[in-house]
Amino acid sequence: MKNSFVELHARERALSLLDADSARELVGPLDNMISPHLEPQNIVPESDDGIVLMKGTISQKNVLVVSIEGKFQGGGIGEVSGAKVVAALEKALADNQNGKTIYPIIILDTGGVRLQEANYGLLSISEIQNVVIALKKYVPVIGLIPGRVGSFGGMSITASILSYLITTNKARIGLNGPEVIEQEAGVREFDSSDKNLIWNTLGTKQRAKTGIVDEVVDDTVDEIKAAVIKEIETKKDAHRTENADFYLSLLDKLDLSKKLDISSYDKLYGTVETTKHEITEAVSGSKEGTKSRGRLWFEKLTGIEKATSSVPTVLHAQKNGKEYIAIVPDADNAYPRVRNGEVGLQEGFAVASIVNKIVAEDKDKTNKRPIILVVDVPSQAYGYQEELIGIHVALGSSAAAYAKARQAGHPVIAFIPGDAVSGGFLAHGLQSNRLIALDDTSITIQAMSKASAARITQRTIAELEEATKHVPAMAYDIDNYEKLGALYKLVKGIGSWEATSENVEKINNIIDEAIQSTVDQPANLHFRYETPIAKTSGRKATLQVRQLVDEQW
Amino acid sequence: MEKLHFNFDTKDAISKPVHVGVVASGDLEVILRPTDKQTEVNIITGSDGFKEVWENVLKRFFDRYPIQANIEINDFGSTPGVVNLRLTQALEELEDEK
Repeated sequence: MKNSFVELHARERALSLLDADSARELVGPLDNMISPHLEPQNIVPESDDGIVLMKGTISQKNVLVVSIEGKFQGGGIGEVSGAKVVAALEKALADNQNGKTIYPIIILDTGGVRLQEANYGLLSISEIQNVVIALKKYVPVIGLIPGRVGSFGGMSITASILSYLITTNKARIGLNGPEVIEQEAGVREFDSSDKNLIWNTLGTKQRAKTGIVDEVVDDTVDEIKAAVIKEIETKKDAHRTENADFYLSLLDKLDLSKKLDISSYDKLYGTVETTKHEITEAVSGSKEGTKSRGRLWFEKLTGIEKATSSVPTVLHAQKNGKEYIAIVPDADNAYPRVRNGEVGLQEGFAVASIVNKIVAEDKDKTNKRPIILVVDVPSQAYGYQEELIGIHVALGSSAAAYAKARQAGHPVIAFIPGDAVSGGFLAHGLQSNRLIALDDTSITIQAMSKASAARITQRTIAELEEATKHVPAMAYDIDNYEKLGALYKLVKGIGSWEATSENVEKINNIIDEAIQSTVDQPANLHFRYETPIAKTSGRKATLQVRQLVDEQW
Repeated sequence: MEKLHFNFDTKDAISKPVHVGVVASGDLEVILRPTDKQTEVNIITGSDGFKEVWENVLKRFFDRYPIQANIEINDFGSTPGVVNLRLTQALEELEDEK
């Protein structure tokens, strides 16, 4: 009889990969490190918070297995679960840096951000992405997506950044789940009751054909273990988030007049010729662009009026040695799903292309140009063709580019005068060394709209709103977000729309201070754990987890 | 969600802590820890209003296996049969390594 891997729980999956008697679990169920955020929302917690960390060997090689329990809260990442992953991967990074090779293997079975701890989920996922990028300089980071939940949301963005993805035919991979797309964009965009359409679009058979995953193996413990061993030994890397030119060339050829179907996409994918794409700097145009807080501040900070660019939703310009990048709405955009400023395919790949170019140009310079992100992103784009092509790869490409820029020594500063939501924020904002936000009630920071979050967590909007009152991580406003401790500065007294020359100067000064504060500081995301608010309340559980992982490593 | 608490006067010491199960739909996790105090069971359950059923299931279990332990249960809507199964499975884990 063949042993199914998919049928196993997270702990059994980790054990089944490791050599007999080599496994040692870190911060396990007996360590009492449970989420402090679930019980106040009347949700039953789990003693390992849905993450199993195991050190051991696979065919005599040292490995760290991170296994996500898909059966507990849909494998969603919250504060404790996220911190466990980040802390363990950072220890693995330190070992590799010190010449002690250890291979990380991540078993993904996850819906992404745990919506009941939404803002912690987003922070944690960006921190996971950061350490994965750092690790890839030393060892391949293998991802396994066996299936049942599959991989969705922010963790799919993470998956796109991993070196190599092994899957079975029981998994689906996407950014937005079909139910959320239906909720946000209507049933005609994606019918979430059409299971065949879902599997044909997001199933691994399709995904392997179009570069989203690398390998589909039979669902047996032996086959999966053999595939993992092989990929560790051959040190494979798909470089999935380094194909901006390919995807921008593909998008040039896309016929937007009709709905994209699978066979036309497969044909397009197979025949597209990659041409070099350079996104030129924004210049003054003749027409006012679609109004938004992001556009307003970009124009004021760079001094470019009616800014326009070859990708109308992505504005980039250099001013006083600083590189400014904004993603903005465009009411007439050819892609209907990005007209309100959402981050879609073109946006992710264009930003990646811009940032990668800056990094390449400054490669041999001691002083790396600061990159300033003007953040006003209401979400990622919710659409069928976006999922079919792989919008999570677009978002992964820009997130990876920002992380690499920071790790190469560029100060990466996010200025948030508008919304900072979900995948949009992961792609454009959360890889920054420092986050600066305006204290304005119009700003939304979250992982999902209230309507979708209520549907997915099976609560009414009233119940959801009740929960946001008690749990800052669930809140949608910037004042509650501040309580997590992640902000460098919450700027009082300047409204989102009040970009007067006096206020612009104030913001410029704060940005300069923020840049200064990164000098001679580590290029990671630890600043978020070290603010006074983070230490005393915002990231208390995170810090506890980090200490436990450190002690038990 | 409901929190339940029970005490039992059972005296068979256990040798080490064990953990079994997953907080999955229709399932639960059980942690047994050795204790020298009175046996205590702390339950967090997603299904409200089943205190009596829990009491009966636990009483039957302790009548048969009078272990002295501190027990934690996180339950996501499991049936009494599953609860009994997981408790017994936890005991098996104790036996295994003896």
